Amino acid sequence: MAPASSHASATTKLRSTGSKPVPDPVLSIRGLEKRFVLHAVDGRIVDGLCGVDLDVFPNEHVCLAGTSGAGKSSLLKAVHRTYVADAGTVHYRTANGEVIDLLGLGDADMADLRAAEIGYVSQFLRAEPRRGVLDVVARAAIRMGVTPDEAKDRAATVLRRVNIDDRLWATYPSLLSGGEKQRVNIAAGMIVAPRLLLLDEPVSALDPANRASVLDDLTERGSTVLSVFHDLPAIRQLADRVVVMARGRIIDEGTAEEVLQRGKELVPA
Amino acid sequence: MSPSAATAPIPTTTTTSTVDYPPSSPRPPALTVRQLSKYYGPILGCRDVEFEVAPGEALGIIGESGSGKSTAMRCIAGDHDATSGRITMGTVGDGHTDILTMSPSDRRALRVKDIAVVYQDPSEGLDLGVSAGGNIADRLTAAGWRNFGRIRERAAELLERTEVPLDRMDDPVRTFSGGMRQRVQLAKALANRPPLLLLDEPTTGLDASVAAGVLDLIRDLLEETGVGAVVVSHDFKVIEMLTRRCLVMHQGHVVEQGLTDQLLEDPQHPYSQRLVGAARG
Repeated sequence: MAPASSHASATTKLRSTGSKPVPDPVLSIRGLEKRFVLHAVDGRIVDGLCGVDLDVFPNEHVCLAGTSGAGKSSLLKAVHRTYVADAGTVHYRTANGEVIDLLGLGDADMADLRAAEIGYVSQFLRAEPRRGVLDVVARAAIRMGVTPDEAKDRAATVLRRVNIDDRLWATYPSLLSGGEKQRVNIAAGMIVAPRLLLLDEPVSALDPANRASVLDDLTERGSTVLSVFHDLPAIRQLADRVVVMARGRIIDEGTAEEVLQRGKELVPA
Repeated sequence: MSPSAATAPIPTTTTTSTVDYPPSSPRPPALTVRQLSKYYGPILGCRDVEFEVAPGEALGIIGESGSGKSTAMRCIAGDHDATSGRITMGTVGDGHTDILTMSPSDRRALRVKDIAVVYQDPSEGLDLGVSAGGNIADRLTAAGWRNFGRIRERAAELLERTEVPLDRMDDPVRTFSGGMRQRVQLAKALANRPPLLLLDEPTTGLDASVAAGVLDLIRDLLEETGVGAVVVSHDFKVIEMLTRRCLVMHQGHVVEQGLTDQLLEDPQHPYSQRLVGAARG
């Protein structure tokens, strides 16, 4: 299948390669493998990823789907380098057009690249302790080069968008409810649109109204997104393409309707 | 649809190639440690420790008691003589000077101008019989400050920043609580704006709420001053809050190094797995 036709929704940034335009993927994963060696359990080996190939194109939102244990979060974490991959390549195209294998990048350079271009929002708030909500969100922008004053303004805007009452802005996130924490987490992840955004069940604890407004915001973003959602409506709303995983491998892809018609389970039962 | 349909082939016509990122670092590392070993007679302290700290970066060293992490730090600080190895600093000489080969007097000067240390035990970093202001003045005087008024002004500014009540400035540090002593150590360490700060279990032994306050202060000071730092701790909470990269030491050796979140979520070495498992369950 020709990449240009299969990823029509993602071909916003085209580069001419002779007669046929081909988009340059932001992320190009090949042969990615991840095994967990559990030294405390007699060195038992648990397979996480068993040879994943995947391209994600500029401004495309790819939802990873599949049952629990399929390898969706492992794939996000291997790209983010929170997990150490055992084999394969993860080529990432930076904002200035350089192509880097993230798996071969030094730790300090990876930390710099994360700060500048790669966002990761999980279902758990990982804010530093003893910092107020506004501060936590503003600092996410400051780390990406925004001036402190502007970061505060932007933090206020984005906190309002996720419906965090301004009376809570000076509160430590640890004192908030699960849903509020998750909204603060999303606000911090969204305050500056990273070039590549990795989302790992970011709305799992939200009530329907807040969930809907956060999902609406996510659809307006300018980032390239690789995500895991555990609910079908979110996948239907956001995905330009659904990639179905099982047992650490990709087993299907297409629109949500296409893969559902082929009888694939998209979310854990 | 076959599994391979999830991908498009990498365009063979691409003109960009894989490159280093960033293309070249404009500033040399604040600290480079190579093959650092220390034996106490026949007993191994640490062996072949290697790492770099970028300017403004905080690097963690984690391990249990006796792992060699403090030994490595003390060899960098000059408290202990390394048995072998090579240590350079971007701000010292042409950036290639091995500080382990410096004369004792040059090493003492380096310790004032370029390296500051905050110890777990404040009596190692402070003269407890001297006032808070006097302790800070000692470091500034050693660094060449001569104007009494300016020294006093700088000491007051630092104590204010580290939240030590100014009306205690002239009291002997001996009369201070543990948390306040650590704050004075921090004020003294950063007094003349050294490029490298070594922190050895800076919050260990303090009550939880006091430790949290000191930890918050360290975090803020690292951000504000842009000082390069090595944080030695047995406590993952400290390492997680202050550093983005860390080393795991065990029986004198570095058994693993990586991004701090990776070491916490996907430790590779059997010892790292035990350490994380014990800390996090």
